[in-house]
Amino acid sequence: MHDEQLILYYYDDGLSDREKQQIEAALKDDVDLAARYERLRRRLAEFNESEVPPAPAHVVQRWHDSIDRVARMESNRLSKPGNPFSFMSFFWGAAITAALAIGIGIGVYLSGDSTVIPVLNETVADTESYREASIPAAFTRSLQVHLRDSQSEIARLPLDSDADRAHLMMEIIEQNRLFERAAERKNSPNFARVLRAFEPILVRLAAEDIAPEDVEALRAQLAFELNVMLTKLAREASEEPHTI
Amino acid sequence: MHTFNKLVFTALLLFVAGTSIAQTDTNEDVEELKLTALEALMSAPAERALPLVMKVLTGNSSDEVKERALFVLSQIDQPEAQTQLLEIARQGSGELRLEAIRMIGIGGEPAALSGLAELYKAGDGDVREAVLEAYLIADDSNAIFEIAANAASEEEFEGAVDMLAAMDARDELRKLRDQAGMSGSLIDAYAISGDFETLRELSMDSSNPELQEQAIEALGIVGGAEVNTALVEIYRSSDSPHVREAALDGLLIADHDDGLLELYQSSQDAAEKRELLEYLVMMDSDAIWEVIDSALDGER
Repeated sequence: MHDEQLILYYYDDGLSDREKQQIEAALKDDVDLAARYERLRRRLAEFNESEVPPAPAHVVQRWHDSIDRVARMESNRLSKPGNPFSFMSFFWGAAITAALAIGIGIGVYLSGDSTVIPVLNETVADTESYREASIPAAFTRSLQVHLRDSQSEIARLPLDSDADRAHLMMEIIEQNRLFERAAERKNSPNFARVLRAFEPILVRLAAEDIAPEDVEALRAQLAFELNVMLTKLAREASEEPHTI
Repeated sequence: MHTFNKLVFTALLLFVAGTSIAQTDTNEDVEELKLTALEALMSAPAERALPLVMKVLTGNSSDEVKERALFVLSQIDQPEAQTQLLEIARQGSGELRLEAIRMIGIGGEPAALSGLAELYKAGDGDVREAVLEAYLIADDSNAIFEIAANAASEEEFEGAVDMLAAMDARDELRKLRDQAGMSGSLIDAYAISGDFETLRELSMDSSNPELQEQAIEALGIVGGAEVNTALVEIYRSSDSPHVREAALDGLLIADHDDGLLELYQSSQDAAEKRELLEYLVMMDSDAIWEVIDSALDGER
């Protein structure tokens, strides 16, 4: 047994009940270990806390200021579109099948495959428009799954726990950023902008001090905008030419 | 359902919501119906959807319904839709105006985006914030750079710089250093955008000790192996207690306890060791047990 475990046992810190019971049993059974622990215990007891003087008040204040600054910056960083994506968080709260569909779609999409789905079938009016010319079908399908997942997660948003709501929103934000970057890379700036526009709303929903009526209003706004985008995606998919 | 049929159905919904149901049902139901109709409009061809959305926007619907209509308008692939959005952003008021500005960001049409500059200049705090957010959504860092470069107050400058940081717009932030001079808000922005090179350069510049210390601490926010090495080097190479203390704060923020342990082990000065030990205790470092063990054994 390592000294670190015995030290934690001495300070009753960081060990589970089971680990504590194991150490207690080992101390009873192993005379050498008990002697080692006794030596360690005496040395730790001699280690008076006064030997580590408390930090001066001005230093503590500086630390607090630094922590506050970091907290503020983290808050700003939250709204930064290009933050590193936490891979594990991608799977949180999403159905496995949906996540797989997203993963496969994004995998195909980000793989650099230059295969381009034929240009969308445009109406007379659309020929005058500035809509993106070619959005690969794999991305469209992945985005639909993402928007539907976001929609259902937001509909089930826990209202009784600020922490749970904040956690869920952070996960949705991470997923949203992934799709925003994918949209940027794959000739779909319109969808990238829409996804970027969702983020400030998601960040506001993640705030722990938000009033319940504001949560409801933002949730309704997001639900509407997600529905509109899903309808638009469905329309564009149906306008794609069918090839054998 | 064919597009034409959908359109007829949607138009009918909007019509019904505005007339007969309003007389017999609650306002809430009418609003719900209008929202459903607006959603359905996205399945109609752009040139047919546009007049229906405009009808909602110019009619007597609630602000909520009109705000939703603005989103639908932003998704209509017609230049006219963007022109209408800009018009509402110019002439509208309250939340509807702010929402129209957001929608111009979502639309991303260059002419409409450039029209926001004029709104920013004449606008109040809310309008200015909405314009900055619209530029963020449109990923137009150049427009925000112009706002920062021409800012009339420190607060305005900070607002724009914060947005550039959130966009990772390092080139624009570096240009601002040359154009507007160094400031605390720029250092924060370099940290948020992860600009290690600029912060390292600033951390070597002792012409303004306060900003130098802030830059050193900001390195800790950027984090990473390069930062860890740089902070240990800064600590070792400086004679200034303030710079050394800032480097320790940076190591604390970067959570680089191995670096602090390395400094502790190489130090021959009791007072310095005590200070380094304080930082290790503050960081709740696993290395602290090794240090305590050595200290108790009387090792240096």
